[in-house]
Amino acid sequence: MKKFLTIALLAFVIVCMFAPLALAAEGAMADGGSISVKAYAAIGAGIAIGFAALGTGIGMGSGLSKACEGVARNPGVSGKITTTLILGLALIESLCIYALIVSLGLLINQGIFF
Amino acid sequence: MGEHKMLMDLIVNPEVVPHFVSYAFLGSILLIGLALMIRGSMSLVPGGVQNVVEVVAKYILDLAEETLGHHWGRPFFPLICTIFMYIAVCNFMGLVPGFDSPTSNINMTASMAVPVFFATHYYGLKVHGVGYIKHFLGPMRSVIWLPMMMLMLIVESISHLARPVTLSVRLFGNMIAKHFLLLVLAFLVPWLIPAHFAVFLLGILVALVQALVFALLTTMYLAGAVEEAH
Repeated sequence: MKKFLTIALLAFVIVCMFAPLALAAEGAMADGGSISVKAYAAIGAGIAIGFAALGTGIGMGSGLSKACEGVARNPGVSGKITTTLILGLALIESLCIYALIVSLGLLINQGIFF
Repeated sequence: MGEHKMLMDLIVNPEVVPHFVSYAFLGSILLIGLALMIRGSMSLVPGGVQNVVEVVAKYILDLAEETLGHHWGRPFFPLICTIFMYIAVCNFMGLVPGFDSPTSNINMTASMAVPVFFATHYYGLKVHGVGYIKHFLGPMRSVIWLPMMMLMLIVESISHLARPVTLSVRLFGNMIAKHFLLLVLAFLVPWLIPAHFAVFLLGILVALVQALVFALLTTMYLAGAVEEAH
């Protein structure tokens, strides 16, 4: 409990330290007005699909490892496990596809990509 | 993607009838023609085309009867098998050069997901009547748990409303991603043949798996609606 409290307070202090820096940078940019929506859209698209692919990779890898373990324990039922695995992978992959739609929408709307 | 020249432009004017409509009709005509051709020469020991179609139909029938039970497996089998075969044919059409897959348009996929949504609720109400609301209330059933039942009602409604959205966007997104990947690869490295080949194989796999996932999810939603509430 004491350790958790220490870490929580430390994180709060670090956020408070860096908050004025970020806000000052945003204020300076708003005064300048030279960075357009296109730049932000490009950054946003990259971050969106990057994080989505990260989560998808972790989720699929974890599911795949358990499926391999299940087949190793009981090779007779490998057909059912493979079907369930493919179904699960397709469902997880659809979450990454949602992020891809958002990312493509950002890029196409700003005219960066087709 | 509508500006590209497709094979259908020879028959139907792309200004009047959009590509995804004409190719959807082509898919329907293909499937109906296949069915009529098989029905014309049915044999007890199948061979050739009849064998392939029977394998597919048997697989989906086993799936439907396993998930829905023997009473409801047979009536729902036409819907599930039609969805599977039609989406598979439409997806594979996108891989052939000169053709376009109708499922790479959100209108087509939504037009398949929304009837599934309505069918789920229609059959749920038909089987259970007003008691269908018990499906939405969660596992606890006593007066003390009334706040939790109301919360579960809200959460389950949102989850049910998200179903047609996820069904349609999943299929649409996969098809669009496949087309984009092939386009970008052809644009950037047109000479690297193994890369195109690999993406092509991935495209075939994705086309089949997405059709299967749509059919499987339809089966599970219907099973959830007509089962006995606990």
